[in-house]
Amino acid sequence: MKTDLADGQTLKEMFASGTAWLEKSAPDINAINVFPVPDGDTGTNMMLTMQYALQEVKPSSDGKASSVAKSLAHGALMGARGNSGVILSQFFRGLAKGLDSKASFDGEDFAKALAGAAQTAYKGVSNPIEGTMLTVLKDASRAAKEAAKDSHALIAILGAAVESAEESVARTPSLLPVLKDAGVVDAGGQGLYVLLDGALQFLKGESQRIQYRRPRLVVAETELVPRAARRPAQLETPHGYCTNFILEGPNLDAGKIEKGLRKKGQSLIVTGDDSLIRVHVHSFKPGEILQYATKFGNLHEITINNMDDQYAQFIKMQRQRMPQADVAIVAVAAGDGFFELLNSLGNIIIVPGGQTMNPSVNELLQAVQSAPSDNIILLPNNKNIMSAASQIQSLTTKNLKVVHTRNMPQGIAAFLAFGYDMNLEQNGRAMEKAISRVKAVEVTRAVRTTRINGLEVKKGQFLAILNDEDPIASNDKATDVVLEALGKAGADKAGIITIYYGVETKAAEAEKIGQDIRDRYKAQVEVVHGGQPHYSYTISLE
Amino acid sequence: MVKIVTDSCSDITPQLARELGITVVPLYVQFGNESYRDNVDLTTEEFYHKLETSKIHPTTATASPAHFAQIFTELAEETKEIVAVTLSQKFSAIYGTALQGKAMVKKDCRIEVIDSQAGAGAQMLLVIAAAKLAQSGAGLGKIVESVKKAVPRAHVRMTFDTLEYLRRGGRVGKAQAFLGSLLKVNPVLGIKDGEAFPIARCRNRAQAVDFLVDFVKGFGPIESVAIEDATTPEELELLAQRLKDLVPAEHTYRSKVSPVVGTHVGPHVLAVSVLEAL
Repeated sequence: MKTDLADGQTLKEMFASGTAWLEKSAPDINAINVFPVPDGDTGTNMMLTMQYALQEVKPSSDGKASSVAKSLAHGALMGARGNSGVILSQFFRGLAKGLDSKASFDGEDFAKALAGAAQTAYKGVSNPIEGTMLTVLKDASRAAKEAAKDSHALIAILGAAVESAEESVARTPSLLPVLKDAGVVDAGGQGLYVLLDGALQFLKGESQRIQYRRPRLVVAETELVPRAARRPAQLETPHGYCTNFILEGPNLDAGKIEKGLRKKGQSLIVTGDDSLIRVHVHSFKPGEILQYATKFGNLHEITINNMDDQYAQFIKMQRQRMPQADVAIVAVAAGDGFFELLNSLGNIIIVPGGQTMNPSVNELLQAVQSAPSDNIILLPNNKNIMSAASQIQSLTTKNLKVVHTRNMPQGIAAFLAFGYDMNLEQNGRAMEKAISRVKAVEVTRAVRTTRINGLEVKKGQFLAILNDEDPIASNDKATDVVLEALGKAGADKAGIITIYYGVETKAAEAEKIGQDIRDRYKAQVEVVHGGQPHYSYTISLE
Repeated sequence: MVKIVTDSCSDITPQLARELGITVVPLYVQFGNESYRDNVDLTTEEFYHKLETSKIHPTTATASPAHFAQIFTELAEETKEIVAVTLSQKFSAIYGTALQGKAMVKKDCRIEVIDSQAGAGAQMLLVIAAAKLAQSGAGLGKIVESVKKAVPRAHVRMTFDTLEYLRRGGRVGKAQAFLGSLLKVNPVLGIKDGEAFPIARCRNRAQAVDFLVDFVKGFGPIESVAIEDATTPEELELLAQRLKDLVPAEHTYRSKVSPVVGTHVGPHVLAVSVLEAL
């Protein structure tokens, strides 16, 4: 493999190899496509754009790198599909500019061209967002520039670019909240990384392996909760039409056209030169867009996609990636910490319990009816809600099973016992079995001075209650009441003690109590933010 | 006699492979630029030591079609019938690679490649069953039919300390449902439709091991069981003790989770696989 100077042939084969690798990644890329719109076609779009670009490079061309680069740019522009395809065409446009008048190029030339490509790509997008393929391109070009300080070998430069691109893709969820929420890395970024990686494999002489291997999706830097895939497909705001076309005419002014279209839609990209412009925009009125453009010239390669249709397909595809469970879970909870905790454990519909953990029958019924299944498990999570919960049975035609969780610790144990491979009956049984092993100690403030169960309780003191019924300890200090209560509740026999601290409790105090408990007992101790009202501490003993 | 071939992700011990006349094609573990053939260039002990001490997180790679072609061609000197049972396609490209290797073989030999739709112990039990059939004189057609019928009867349950290895290796599959938990749990995963599937979340290791024992107990007649650890042989021994009354010793196979599988599951995995009797 030539690592000194590369010519047009090498450039073409690099991107042919990159395209072959991209083709293999396309379905995975489609599946993670959530930005700018979850229409599930980024992989396909990038692949088609590249295929068009490659076709434009004729075997009869003069073999110069500059000519091949120009052909790729022109082909990408003409064949650009979707948001990512258009950005890709910008990439090639910048690359061609950087390789202009170069019959052959080395790593340093390529690094410079990459930097130009990144700039061109950013300029083309009206509203560039970080955490997308733009960021990946920027990071890759920066790494290439750095690497060019030590070596001019193309393989070293591209190697650095690819490594940086991969890391950049891994970071995208931390830059773009919608990615984090969906639990995915950026689709366009993944596509760009794969394209460059395929090109690198060619330079390394490894492109044969592309035939029998498949690119893996870059793994996000930190563990993400696939939240969006968990939501039932609720009606999101309509997305409109993805409108894409080439405008051909005399003396075109891309800047003016961009300004004219800015207010007419989202995700606007206008790129090109004075005779050929590519327009991409998301709009509810594609007709207006086309009408506006026809003032300036003729339209070609017109595509209009209904993004809501695409979105529906995408959701269907997403559903298939998660394990299917025929059973939906509805639970009552109070406290933002508990909301977050429950959502982190899986699909669940939460009915907010409010200050007193007392939702109405109607609220419970609504939740049951809206659940994405005919088989429902209901977790009341408070003994006060039991009667309301049992009423729901007769009010719904769905198959409803109430698992008798009397408090949050039991509710969580029940949820953890959920099995994706079990049906309603089996899940109900597994959950009832799980909750029988859970004891709860709840710490609240005494509302009046009294004597109960042999305990002297002063108003305002911390009062600990076992299993929702038995007051077992009272004290002025929370720490002391917790330790006393745990002693009486048999914490020495527990394997796992979990402390959920409430909305008025400071994390530092909770952590300290957790440490005291660890020092005293052999159980595995966890301190978790529950944020619940009313109870300073809710403690689970298993 | 039909020759049986599998890949190293079946976790079959070299000794057992020799006894049963099984040829094992190694996949690769890569630490940066260093590439090792599974259990050939790197033993299991060496691998887990490196896994825990190296700053570089390893990656894995499949064998090449040429390698399969070479193995098949060599075996074709001794037989006219070969059955290869590979790791699930959803975990690796190896099934496709084996097929490509088959296409490259010029010798006159019937070669059938079967996707086990499993891995580790479950794959191992299928391969052992195939090898025993071959040793008893069964022909290619019978063995292929038998293995395909056995695939849905092969089950595995693995308990993990962390899903991070699986996540980083990109093989988390449907077990992604267990990611992001804000509570510490010990997940138990299985394999369904060829990919990782979430089975249970236990609160600690002890509960998870109980789960594995109950898993075996829940079956009717069992043909064979495989139990594996990565770096906790004492745990494996305890597990074996608890299972010995459920399955006769001659049908219980012990093994280590091989480096390539270990890269994706981590050093504290404990696995139990069951092949149900017909």
